[in-house]
Amino acid sequence: MNASMRTVCLALICALPVVARAQSPTARIVRNANAFLATLEPAQKQRVLFAFDDDKQRVRWSNLPNRMVQRAGLSMGELTPAQRSAATKLLASALSPRGFEKVQQIVEGDEVLKRNENNNPMFGRDLFFVSILGTPSETAPWMLQFGGHHLALNITIVGAQGVLTPSLTAAQPALYTENGKTVRPLGAESDKAFALLNSLDSAQRAKAILNYRVADLVLGPGQDGKTIQPEGLKATSMNEGQRAMLVDLIAEWSGIVHESAAAARMAEIMSGLNDTWFAWSGSTTHAEGHAGTAYYRIQGPALVIEYAPQPLGGDPTNHIHTIYRDPTNDYGRKLTSK
Amino acid sequence: MRRSLTVTVALLLSFATRADAHQLDEYVQASKIAVARDLVRVELRLTPGVKVLSRVLAVIDTNGDGILSPVEQRTYAERVRRDLSLAVDGRLLSLRLVTLGFPDMADMKEGLGEIRMDFEAAVPVGGVDRTLTFENQHLRDVAVYLANALVPQDSAIRIGAQRRSYEQASFTFEYSQTDSSRPLARATGASPASEAAGYFGMVRLGMHHIAEGTDHLLFLLVLLLPAPLAAVAGRWGRYAGARQGAARLLRIVTSFTIGHSLTLAAAASGVVRAPSGIVEVLIALSILVSAVHAMRPIFPGREALVAAGFGLVHGCAFATTIAGYGIDPWHTVLTVLGFNVGIELMQVAILVATVPWLLSLARTTAYAPLRVCGAGAGAVAALGWIGERAFGMANPIGPLVDAAASHGPLLIAALAATALLAEWRVRFVPRGSPFVTRR
Repeated sequence: MNASMRTVCLALICALPVVARAQSPTARIVRNANAFLATLEPAQKQRVLFAFDDDKQRVRWSNLPNRMVQRAGLSMGELTPAQRSAATKLLASALSPRGFEKVQQIVEGDEVLKRNENNNPMFGRDLFFVSILGTPSETAPWMLQFGGHHLALNITIVGAQGVLTPSLTAAQPALYTENGKTVRPLGAESDKAFALLNSLDSAQRAKAILNYRVADLVLGPGQDGKTIQPEGLKATSMNEGQRAMLVDLIAEWSGIVHESAAAARMAEIMSGLNDTWFAWSGSTTHAEGHAGTAYYRIQGPALVIEYAPQPLGGDPTNHIHTIYRDPTNDYGRKLTSK
Repeated sequence: MRRSLTVTVALLLSFATRADAHQLDEYVQASKIAVARDLVRVELRLTPGVKVLSRVLAVIDTNGDGILSPVEQRTYAERVRRDLSLAVDGRLLSLRLVTLGFPDMADMKEGLGEIRMDFEAAVPVGGVDRTLTFENQHLRDVAVYLANALVPQDSAIRIGAQRRSYEQASFTFEYSQTDSSRPLARATGASPASEAAGYFGMVRLGMHHIAEGTDHLLFLLVLLLPAPLAAVAGRWGRYAGARQGAARLLRIVTSFTIGHSLTLAAAASGVVRAPSGIVEVLIALSILVSAVHAMRPIFPGREALVAAGFGLVHGCAFATTIAGYGIDPWHTVLTVLGFNVGIELMQVAILVATVPWLLSLARTTAYAPLRVCGAGAGAVAALGWIGERAFGMANPIGPLVDAAASHGPLLIAALAATALLAEWRVRFVPRGSPFVTRR
């Protein structure tokens, strides 16, 4: 190896940490956030930015359309194509590819709903809002929000950590066709749950299936930080295969956020798995390729997932609300409170 | 007025036909029940969907003017309260409205209105294992009920099995309240472990009661001040000797214990009921009497008898702390026993920490000023309490006493230092020196 080669190698080795750092997920998100902010007019910037401790903006999310619960921030519809693309890039960098796909399918579903409702101006992809609480930073806490009808993503970023709780994913229609392809934004949430339910033996089912109706989310919007007494079948009463199915089901929510944050979250969920409960209410069957009409809940020490089909619209299998929480760490409070 | 409601309803109906994108045709009534120590809180969130709003508004807006006046809001809350029922161990409890919040009418009209009502109910003292039943009958025809128990903030309270009717109108759950400073278990279904936990809880409560009960402590200490001395011709005289001093101390403490144990047991089992106002005044008086006696002997040789008599008074005060804890005679006995053992343990601890120094000092000339100062302080504190408790006067002394008591270890250390200094003088400073000498 001659001297110049050695120099090049040495330079590369020295640059490695810098490159690695530049490519860390948080660094990537911050870079994309600053790039998005740079595309904005001063007035727009003022509207998209909130103080990190703005608790009103923090909780300004809902399953309901914007007309009913007025969001703040900037709507996609008022952005230029360049701004919109920067916002989309920012969102994509904060999510996993599968998570981003799910979110896009929910947003496009609202566009389908708009079409189905004679172009109802209450709905559509233009009515999703982006907002930033605090200053995008690789060290100090800040928050990225994206949501509208049937969607609320609250991503608190603290250093390398990314907290997605509380977040709401929902879908109406829960099944639609786009470019000849069938799309089910929350299809896996239903199919994996039925697979788990069907794997249970009769004794396990007797525990898991509640004998009462649960008509709606118990810990929906506005119920931050609350922990209800769990019920159903405990994961300790499941075999390894069933536990793996449960974890795989949970990953439909915990895996929405970008991979390294999702991995940390999954480790936390696994550590509490023995104290995690699976409860089911309603019909135990569903048509192949369609959602069911049953409610279910997964609850662990740091986890609440609820899946609640809605009767509104006539077909509960086509209108689904879900909530994803960590009652111990909603909005990353565990990381940000001193 | 009528017309405005009609217009409102028509408007709502026209709106409802468009806004069919979420749950509108039901009145969601979500209850979250928080069990705390001796208290149940019911958080009720009522969300009328747009399609049932007219049905709900007809109940709230009784004069139909389209405005929900404060009176209408309160009347509605009372209506809801009557439609709820809460029972613990089969006993109906009365719910009290603690917060009431109505959304804007504009929000209500869009089916966003969340009416917030929080109720509280006091739970009578009972056993460890309890059953709570909550029922909601409000507007059943349009209601969707959700009823859940919140995980208690208090780790000593645990929720057990839950049962609900299919529509969740009726919700029953079991819970246990094991606790370190609470009553003993009810005999039925209480495990030996929880019985033991309850017993030791009472022991701790007894210790706590003495450690925090400055007046009881002060009485005891002031009463012990002259114990090592012999009364001679109406004055406190020489050191009576270690053996005699210790024996007298023991007799006084034992008599006090017998006295307060008797009334504690009697009052706790409901045999006697002393009015606590008078008891508190008598306790302050007992300190004053002891303080006077510590300055000049007024009942020499009969300290044990007086200690027993005042013990009876102090026992009545102890009893108020544990009144109602006993479920049945057996548990009353256990409760009294546990509490009393706690009192004794703390008394012994305080005696062990102070008596050796008092006995040591009593042999020196330093003891007379110490005794008079101690008794004087006790008398001043007692007078403050008497004024406060008997005549409702402001008591500037009380906070000072509490502040001093909170530095108990420091006071004991000062006492020990004084005793050691006096001892050193006695041993190493020659007779006739102007310092402390052996009496």
